[in-house]
Amino acid sequence: MGQQESIPSTATDLCEADLPSDISFPLEIRLHGRGGQGGVTCAKLIAAIYAQMGLNVQTFGDYGAERSGAPIRAFTRVDRDPIKNRNKVYRPDHLLVLDAALLGPPVLDGVAAGAVILINSAERVEKYVEPFADYRFGIIDATGIAREHGIGTSSVVIINTTLVGAYAKLLGLPLEVLEDVYTKMGLSEDLQAAKEAYLKVRICPADTTVSGLAVGGELATSLPPVKPQTEHSEDIPTKLKTGNWSTQLPGYEDYLAPCNHACPAGNDVVGFIQALKTSGADAAAEVLLRTQALPSVCGRVCPAPCMHECNRKQMDGAVNNRSLERWISDHSRFRLQVEKPEKVLSLAVVGGGPAGLSAAYQLALRGHRVCIFEKAEKLGGVLRYGIPVYRLPEEALERDLERILSLGIRSQCDHPVDQAEMERLHRQYDAVIVSKGFSDAYTLAAAGETLDGIEQGLDFLARSREAGSEARLSGDVVVIGGGNTAIDCARSALRSGASSVKLVYRRSRDEMPAIDEEIEDAMREGVQLLALRQPVAFRGVGQVAGIVLAEVELGEADADGRRRPLVTERTTELNCSTVLLALGQENELGLLPEAWQVRNARVWCAEDPLNIWLTGDCSTAEGTVTHAIGNGRLTAMVALAALANTSTVASLSGTESTPTQLQQGSLVAPAQVRFSHFPILAPHQDRHQALENYRNSFEEVNLGLSGQEEAERCFSCGRCTQCDTCLVYCPDGVISRSDDGYRIDEEYCKGCGICVAECPRRAMDLNDKGLSDGC
Amino acid sequence: MAVELISANHAAALAATLAGRANRTARGFCSGVYPITPSTECMEYLCGQEIEKGKVVRADSEHNAMGICIGASASGARSFTTTCSNGLAYMIENCVAAAGYRLPIVMSIANRTLGPPWNIWADHGDSLLMRDLGWLQFYSADIQQVFDTVLCAFRLAEDPRVMMPALCCMDGFILSHTMAQVEVPSQEQVDRCLPPTDIPHRLDKSAHTLGQMETPHQSVVHRAQHHQAMLNARQVYAEVQDSFEEIFGRRPADPLVSYRTEDAETLIVSMGTLGVTAERVVDLLREQGQSVGSVRVRMFRPMLDEELRKIFAGKKRIAVLDRDISIGFGGVLWGEVRGFADPSAIVQNYMVGVAGGDVRPEHMINLLAELEQANESGAPRIVEVA
Amino acid sequence: MMNEPALNGMAHTEQDRSEPLLRAGNSNCGGCGMSNLMQMLRRAAAERELKLVIPACCAAVTGGSFPESAFSIPTIMSTFASAASVANGDASVAQLNGEETRVICLAGDGGTYDIGMGTLSAAAERNEDILYICYDNEIYGNTGGQRSSATPAGAATTSTLHGKQETKKDILGIMAAHRIPYAASISLAHIDDTLRKLQFALDARGFRFLHVLSPCPTGWKSEPAMGIELVRLAVRSGLFPVFEVFDGERYVLNVEPEFSGEALMMYLSLQRRFRNTGVTEESLRPSIERYWNYLRLMSGRIVPARRNV
Repeated sequence: MGQQESIPSTATDLCEADLPSDISFPLEIRLHGRGGQGGVTCAKLIAAIYAQMGLNVQTFGDYGAERSGAPIRAFTRVDRDPIKNRNKVYRPDHLLVLDAALLGPPVLDGVAAGAVILINSAERVEKYVEPFADYRFGIIDATGIAREHGIGTSSVVIINTTLVGAYAKLLGLPLEVLEDVYTKMGLSEDLQAAKEAYLKVRICPADTTVSGLAVGGELATSLPPVKPQTEHSEDIPTKLKTGNWSTQLPGYEDYLAPCNHACPAGNDVVGFIQALKTSGADAAAEVLLRTQALPSVCGRVCPAPCMHECNRKQMDGAVNNRSLERWISDHSRFRLQVEKPEKVLSLAVVGGGPAGLSAAYQLALRGHRVCIFEKAEKLGGVLRYGIPVYRLPEEALERDLERILSLGIRSQCDHPVDQAEMERLHRQYDAVIVSKGFSDAYTLAAAGETLDGIEQGLDFLARSREAGSEARLSGDVVVIGGGNTAIDCARSALRSGASSVKLVYRRSRDEMPAIDEEIEDAMREGVQLLALRQPVAFRGVGQVAGIVLAEVELGEADADGRRRPLVTERTTELNCSTVLLALGQENELGLLPEAWQVRNARVWCAEDPLNIWLTGDCSTAEGTVTHAIGNGRLTAMVALAALANTSTVASLSGTESTPTQLQQGSLVAPAQVRFSHFPILAPHQDRHQALENYRNSFEEVNLGLSGQEEAERCFSCGRCTQCDTCLVYCPDGVISRSDDGYRIDEEYCKGCGICVAECPRRAMDLNDKGLSDGC
Repeated sequence: MAVELISANHAAALAATLAGRANRTARGFCSGVYPITPSTECMEYLCGQEIEKGKVVRADSEHNAMGICIGASASGARSFTTTCSNGLAYMIENCVAAAGYRLPIVMSIANRTLGPPWNIWADHGDSLLMRDLGWLQFYSADIQQVFDTVLCAFRLAEDPRVMMPALCCMDGFILSHTMAQVEVPSQEQVDRCLPPTDIPHRLDKSAHTLGQMETPHQSVVHRAQHHQAMLNARQVYAEVQDSFEEIFGRRPADPLVSYRTEDAETLIVSMGTLGVTAERVVDLLREQGQSVGSVRVRMFRPMLDEELRKIFAGKKRIAVLDRDISIGFGGVLWGEVRGFADPSAIVQNYMVGVAGGDVRPEHMINLLAELEQANESGAPRIVEVA
Repeated sequence: MMNEPALNGMAHTEQDRSEPLLRAGNSNCGGCGMSNLMQMLRRAAAERELKLVIPACCAAVTGGSFPESAFSIPTIMSTFASAASVANGDASVAQLNGEETRVICLAGDGGTYDIGMGTLSAAAERNEDILYICYDNEIYGNTGGQRSSATPAGAATTSTLHGKQETKKDILGIMAAHRIPYAASISLAHIDDTLRKLQFALDARGFRFLHVLSPCPTGWKSEPAMGIELVRLAVRSGLFPVFEVFDGERYVLNVEPEFSGEALMMYLSLQRRFRNTGVTEESLRPSIERYWNYLRLMSGRIVPARRNV
């Protein structure tokens, strides 16, 4: 397969005089590389350089039937006289090693002391000082440079043009000659890489004080016996160590799924859904309950940011994570085991809402003694008094409470905590976690707000919760607000006898903070939305009879990204008999003694941190049950870490099982999921009560999923599901199953990267091996 | 033993059929065949035979006929085909392969001139294309020899010391289409003569690849082994003759057929049916008091150099008759054998009967008369014969 | 489209691991489609006894150097044009001896579309008991990348520097015209379909022909990791129809493409062989449509199948 190489004819701007004086002729150069790196072209380039100087050259490859990656050799011979030698080069004056992994006896064969060696290696030059003391040698990371410059493909980088830059420097050849030669050979695009190598090559002179170490001076002479064809009937398996060919190696890595990243509670969403899929509800509960104290609750009322961020949303609809969580909590009685701590701590939790319950649960799970102090009659806070039962039935809440309390948590209800009590708790307990929630509801400060029939929505919801549909309303009801409380009020009002319910919100529908599905349900049930309206006055004598609404326009975006409402002069009037205010709540911390301040969610007295932490809405004002649960858990962890005097603290977002600091690119983007590997499958929708049953009934509206098939839709972004895709597509069969995943046979993996490219869910990555050599 | 009146094409096919049936206890017989004048009758006859555990594939080309034989032989079957002339030229790549795999395929050639110019008559130029490829080569002089040679070729090719393909040549039309009495042994006799085919390196169940890449060193060693195996055939052929004689009561022809050479001063060296004519000429000239003998090279590969040296020793004049031309050189046989003669001998090459000319005794007598007058070896001469 | 685990988990069986058809340590390029095919063939073949006939092509080189072999089954490296005839001899002897051995030709596009075409046609016409698999990388890869009659129009090769002018042969049409029992095209990206066809073709008798689009990072000048995706794009765009033909007359379309311009554009842009040759999404569209109209006519499926339902 030999072929004649055409070399640009000599146009000698440069001459032999430009050559370093220590070159003697004939000069013999040998290259060792791998198919695809461009070794033969490299030898040709070097020949072209000498030809440019007016010398006679000869260059040829040692052709075989090699494939990309297989070891190859190439030769260049230079002389002042015409060259008559037609043999390969056995005793090279210059040796170029295009892949340091090739270094070893066959490569160094015949290389005598004093020879010049250039090695492509990312290793430090010191590594070669001892074995190559007899030689003048240079080390250059040509692969790195060539890859930077995009020469070749990522798995087979073509390094010839880069390496020649380093060779020129090692020999003391002028850089200009390279420019001429590269231009003539149509390689000027690669000049920058060559120049970089020229500057970066690290050179060590031959150490003449050490002698006799030259590894290769001798040539192998004996020939092995060859078995006759007619006596040969079983072959030896090939043993080409193709793992040496590649510079990259695939590996399995976990990346952060957007759902996990988005979950305010820090749930391992991918983890529990995959556990549900593969092993059922109990296995899923085992994952879920590590972070989630209230799965029955969250499975019903969570705004599910995980679903907003779900990568599947970009294909055929987000995975119905919320209802899967509900499915798990409704179908598992699994309980986590309480740990045994080194030292049992005693902790007080002030407030039995979601944050307090979550904190208490996490502390109790770790074996500590916890007592919850709750001002109301029963535990639950907003879960009990703020969320209507048609969304969160009593049984669901009780189920979660029972699981929490079963960990041995004590509770004292009807136990409000004031400053004195706070100080007492501080003294008596190792730590106190305050999760008192929001306080008073906001009012509008509009004229006529004190008329009868105008009520805080939360008060109505609490009444309604106590009395069910007995908490009667009648006539036309107006609810003011756009959050979940407003929706809850509106839908509860419909269930309590209102003849019509209008929802007044000052921004547009898109900006309503309430859960989308809830808004949709409300509309379906008959709630009318009056968006872009601001109540400016109430009308009526004693009893409210109407409401004056000003039209609102949206202005510039606020800091939170929502457009600022601008109230206009244009008004309309609306008749009504009841107004429910759902405008949000204040946050006040009157229970802390005057001398205490809150810094970074911890209570300080002057410069002393106290073992008191704030959590939930009273600390973050994030306003959702899920945020409260997440914050409660993390606060518990922070408190325990502080008490154990360890500085490392779980971050304030994310779960233990996902990266705490979001590395650049560690979040799985939709484009990194191979949609083509998944069949299009619409989400499984929740079942609902028939619409005609809604009125006058506080039966749970959403009946959840009818099965767990929805879990099959989860892409499992960034986490291996052992789907075998990598194994099936591996061209060389070097991937096999191992106990808990897959094993890649590094000895043979050619680093093509198909497994990584085909991984449906970005649970693999291709990593640079770094060049290591066989010296 | 029955005597049948058949042509040489028929005889070759009959021998192959008997050999094929003889392997029914082993892996059977499989052959790929393709027609070409004057070998066609051989393949036609084969296609008409019922061969137990045998299959004759009617191929689409000579190249593929040999491909089929290769596949069959690589799978352990006995295999046979026939072609000639341009068909052989077209087949040759796979003939190279068959030898390279060391497969004992037997092929019958009804020698025919290579074209163009198109010419269907006898010339050894086609089979001599195969000279250097590692095939055993035989040239027969009569129909019985054709039959015997094919049988012997299987035995020889399949011998573990030899293990390579064999070419059995007959002159196109002169033999291929000429009928004469042939002694045909019974199947039982043939069964005894040909043990089951056993190709040790055949593809069986083990992980084994035939025809892999090799390094220069491996290939040169394998060539050397092939060469040695070819040389082994000289001795093994003698053993085959003994065995044949024991079973059939009749000895197949020698690799070199010497006719009245012991006391001859002048020798005629030839291959194929030219040799028969040469023997007639020897008789005629002996009657006239001339001291002439004939050597017919039946086994061309391996070349029997030592034996030829012995026969040539002391001979003053040697006429080498070639039914072929290596254009730009002379006769192929002459090129091969002239070095075996004494340095003082006059070795003259006559290319005669090329492209199917009918060489009669008088042609040879004239040539010998000319040779008797010569004082030195002349340039090879092409003799025009109609 | 896949189920998890892929191929119902059969890919990690003990057999698959212990003795692959193509052993690790072979000399194929990283990301070679033929290597991938061999892994699938092992899965499909399971316990069946196989023999390979390989004409000159990359597989003949990857087989390894004497006395080593990358193939774990009996294999013969035939001359370039002779795969089907050598296989014919093998298969005939297997049949004579009552053996169930499946004789497989593993040939490149050069050995199939070009030099081996006559041999292939003859063996097909005789309906010999051979499974002929053409792994088509659309180029003479072994010799460094020259055009073959399987090279698509617009692809630059070392013998068509500015892109080949002629369109590639319709190999399945040719084979179907021989009325062989089974002819099918295989997309390596569609593993379930691949496995099913390989199994069917292994079990069927008579001449079976499989055409496999085999990504070749070296010849296509593409990223090795993108090989399977390129096949997928070829299928999605309609460029490589995945179908099967029974007895030369019953056409079944196996994968309905989306005929997406985006897929076609991606297919072209991910391979440097199509760079600067003037081939574009638009220039390919008419021939894709023509061929699909023909396929719809042949298959009787006038209305495209609904995707993914």
